[in-house]
Amino acid sequence: MSVSPTVGATPGDDLTMAKRRRRLFSLGGWELSLLVLLIIVTTSFGLGVPGFFDNLSGFLAMTSNFLPFGIVALGLSLVIFTGGIDLSVGATASLAAVVAAQLWATMGLNIWVASLLGLAMGGLLGGINAAVIVLLRIEPLIATLATSFIYTSAAVAVAGDSPPSGFPDAFNNMGSGAMAWGSFQFPYQLLIFIPLAVLFWLLVTRSAFGRKLVTVGYNSEAARYSGIRVPRVLAAAYVISGMMAALAGLVLSAYYSAARADMGDVLLLTTIAMVVLGGVSIFGGEGRMGGVIVAVLLLGLLRQGMLIAGFSDMVTSMLTGAILIGSIAIRNIFSTRVGGFGKRLLALIRRPAIAGPDATRHDAP
Amino acid sequence: MITARRMLVLAAAATLAIASAVSAQTVDTSKRIKVAMVPKLVGLSVFKANQQGAEAAAKTLNIDFLYTGPVTASAQGQVDVFNSLIARKFDVITTTSNNPTQLAPALKRAMKQGIKVVSYDSDVSPDARDFFIQNTEYPAFGKALVDSVAKYIPADSEVAILSSTKDATIQNEWINALTAYMKTAYPKMKIVTTEYGQSDPSKSLTAGLNILQAHPNVAAIIAPDGASEVGAAAAVQKLGRTGKVFVTGCSNPDAIRQYVKAGIIKASPLWDEVKEGQLVMHVARLAANNALKPNDTFSVPGLGDYTVKDKVIIFSEPLIFTAENIDQYKF
Repeated sequence: MSVSPTVGATPGDDLTMAKRRRRLFSLGGWELSLLVLLIIVTTSFGLGVPGFFDNLSGFLAMTSNFLPFGIVALGLSLVIFTGGIDLSVGATASLAAVVAAQLWATMGLNIWVASLLGLAMGGLLGGINAAVIVLLRIEPLIATLATSFIYTSAAVAVAGDSPPSGFPDAFNNMGSGAMAWGSFQFPYQLLIFIPLAVLFWLLVTRSAFGRKLVTVGYNSEAARYSGIRVPRVLAAAYVISGMMAALAGLVLSAYYSAARADMGDVLLLTTIAMVVLGGVSIFGGEGRMGGVIVAVLLLGLLRQGMLIAGFSDMVTSMLTGAILIGSIAIRNIFSTRVGGFGKRLLALIRRPAIAGPDATRHDAP
Repeated sequence: MITARRMLVLAAAATLAIASAVSAQTVDTSKRIKVAMVPKLVGLSVFKANQQGAEAAAKTLNIDFLYTGPVTASAQGQVDVFNSLIARKFDVITTTSNNPTQLAPALKRAMKQGIKVVSYDSDVSPDARDFFIQNTEYPAFGKALVDSVAKYIPADSEVAILSSTKDATIQNEWINALTAYMKTAYPKMKIVTTEYGQSDPSKSLTAGLNILQAHPNVAAIIAPDGASEVGAAAAVQKLGRTGKVFVTGCSNPDAIRQYVKAGIIKASPLWDEVKEGQLVMHVARLAANNALKPNDTFSVPGLGDYTVKDKVIIFSEPLIFTAENIDQYKF
């Protein structure tokens, strides 16, 4: 997935790279459309669905129901930027949260110290993922699928027959509490998410690491020849993804005031949806952090709004799937890189003979 | 004239008050309320049976009824649903929980906003609900499970247990109860193994096959879970042990009908899920009216008299399905 050896650096790539790099700083067309969609969704729910926007505090409080997904999405984006995937985010979240909770429950550790250890645990699990991928040369998809089985089993074993629950209120507040100024309340989860979102946005757009990350994903061979230490970049991406997953797991256990071995299961698919909807190419090397952040809010608020409007979980899940297919289809049709339907159609009409190799190049990964 | 009318109204009111005090049955249904029923997941026939009963009762109790829940049996999915119900200002949330602890914060939020919470089937933490309707008493159900197989096998038989998951509260309570009952009623009977089918049909079948192959002397499998009872019965059928190994458990009649008719399951206890749904709505109505105390009694027309003890209401004695009566129940 990360490497497609047949792809050589063509002269045109330099140009697009430069163009893309400049565009990374701003919001592109895709991100703007997402933002417009977010505003439309929010205002129409706000006007049409009683209970969605009663007051600003209540509206903000709703974000606590989906921001753990956003935290995972931030870390997962880095991995997907490199052209990889981390299927173990859910299992990592569960394991880190369960380990932290058990440290608190059985060893009597301070809950915050235990949380820090849980966070470190997430980093370690991400490091294991990276080691399996880089040292054993196993495809990220298979590697993280395998480790997710291992992490899940470990989480079940650590959780035991009666998983810990009933954490101190100060900790629970991190998941469901809010800072209050008079009658205005600002959820702690947002206080965690906003700085992280800014940090990740800066990391990808303004730092050398971010550029390396995207370059590795765009063409890992080229990155290697241009002196980037690809394994190190990959390792950093997976470690960060693991830590973000662990943080999400901790926030979830604060939200539920309970840690369970299956807690992170729901995270994976929705966060992949958020990252892809945000415009990050699943093949790597393309996309913007801003898009991911908007997609987190869009999918999250859309789901909350639909639930409040009385649609069943079934309908909202189906809609998430449909949006995902729709968004990728639209991107593929207009994408200049991935051999999209629209491009292929054009190629067929113009020069049928050339269309073949071009299409295989992009379908390969 | 006015005084006369007033007198009449007063008299009528007094008669009503006396009548209700005597029968304790008249439920105040003057205000229309919104009640939601949130099962562990939508699309499971036992929960649909609850819904069927609840819907019928809701009509007579002036209740706006909503049946909604997650697609998979996840606590997170239920919390999402609770959050939406809180935002929509429901009067009562009734639920059977996937997990007692994880649901608590959301339900407490609901209670803080004046929403009444009634749990049924699987309880949540006691501080996160107003009332809990328990299907049957644990000892009674444990006894029913043992009796459902013990009558058909020698008194010194080997018995296996196939449960759902290791941390399933109700299943563990039942296993404790049936072990205790077996010790006194059938002291020579021995439980040789306890396996888990994760509430999953195919995993339960595999676990059932494992039991039968690893313990060839097992004469009965007690599988106190919907999926595991079916899995155990299917395993007996697959290995051709019909008539030699008997199965019992806790499953809805539709799922076990063919095995009951085949003689693999002689008797299988459960309770009437449809009627339980009716009771849930009655309790929801009473809770919304603030007409039920933590320790109280009430009666429901067509269902009977109930006692509330520490906010817990026991629904009924176990209902035993056999080849004779199973066709009367369709859920």
